[in-house]
Amino acid sequence: MSCSPFDLKDYLFQELPANQRREVEKHVAACEPCREELAGLRLTQTALLALQDEEIPQRIGFVSDPIFEPSPWRRAWAAFWGSGPRLGFAAAAMLSAALVFATVNRPAPAPAPHSQTATLTAAEIDARIDARVRQAALEIEASQTKKAEQLVASVKQRDAAKLNELVRMASAQTEYFLQQNAELRSQVHSSNVLGEATR
Amino acid sequence: MIFRAVEDADLIPQAARGNVEAYNLLVSRWEKRVYNYLLRITANREDALDLTQDVFLKAYQNLRKLDDTSRFAPWLYRIAHNEAYSMFRKRRPETDVDELEPESTETGITVGGSSVFPMELTLAVASALERLSKEQREAVVLKIYQGFKFEEMSEILECPVSTVKSRLYTALELLKKELAPIQARGV
Repeated sequence: MSCSPFDLKDYLFQELPANQRREVEKHVAACEPCREELAGLRLTQTALLALQDEEIPQRIGFVSDPIFEPSPWRRAWAAFWGSGPRLGFAAAAMLSAALVFATVNRPAPAPAPHSQTATLTAAEIDARIDARVRQAALEIEASQTKKAEQLVASVKQRDAAKLNELVRMASAQTEYFLQQNAELRSQVHSSNVLGEATR
Repeated sequence: MIFRAVEDADLIPQAARGNVEAYNLLVSRWEKRVYNYLLRITANREDALDLTQDVFLKAYQNLRKLDDTSRFAPWLYRIAHNEAYSMFRKRRPETDVDELEPESTETGITVGGSSVFPMELTLAVASALERLSKEQREAVVLKIYQGFKFEEMSEILECPVSTVKSRLYTALELLKKELAPIQARGV
């Protein structure tokens, strides 16, 4: 235990003001135990300093040298394209900008049609459904009637065409028969004339 | 004496305004110290390097919040301390941070090829440091190796100066006992 007026370690580490340092120095000069104590502390401090600082294995920053460095523009360009994270950040920033743009310019959504149904009662909904069903049934019935009429008209038209064809064929046949008859009569008449002449 | 045409206090406002070159210059001045601080409290080179990168990235992102440029060093080390402890918690979240011990390397922290100190002493120091508690070791590193004042250490570690001194002085007594046999052999 030191009998120094101030802590010898504080003195060793130069943490004492000048006046207190002088007092310690005066005391140590006259006190053998304190002198040995201080010498022991100094020896320990010196021993600890045997452990020297190591060189950092990899530089953290880069201090550019104007003689060797590229132009500021080229350096910035190389730094930009040479950095994967920076490129990734740029891509992410562009994507974010595109998303923001698309969000801002998106047309306002149309008023929700189902917002009215939320206020309708169940009875009104049933009535609407019934009306729709009736309307659909009428539409189907009208459609079927129309189709039936079209079918009848089509059949009538087809039958009329067939009748006309039959009449036309009958007329042609009649005409043919009349023509044959006329020719036959002409032949008979000619033979009668010849027979009378022969007789 | 090292002459610096541009001081840290000049670089910090420029870097805070987004001047990458100014920040790179600032990093080049501090990276080795921060790396060695992290190396000594984590005892793992890979972790120390990863954490150093994280520290400087975080520092760059938060540089505008630093009002007093003269407090840059403790502010930077505060970030480093937080990053290291955050890593410890992630690795063993079920364990109290106070109980955590760093991973020990096979040969302790090695010395550069040009060391004037014998290897035996170096290994003894590394071994003695590893036997300290995490808080004691960090106090020793900040004071002996990084040269911070008690007030700055208090800021970095977010604890009273009295606590800082207690940790450091207890550690120093332990180290004195651990290293005494080596010193007695005249190494």
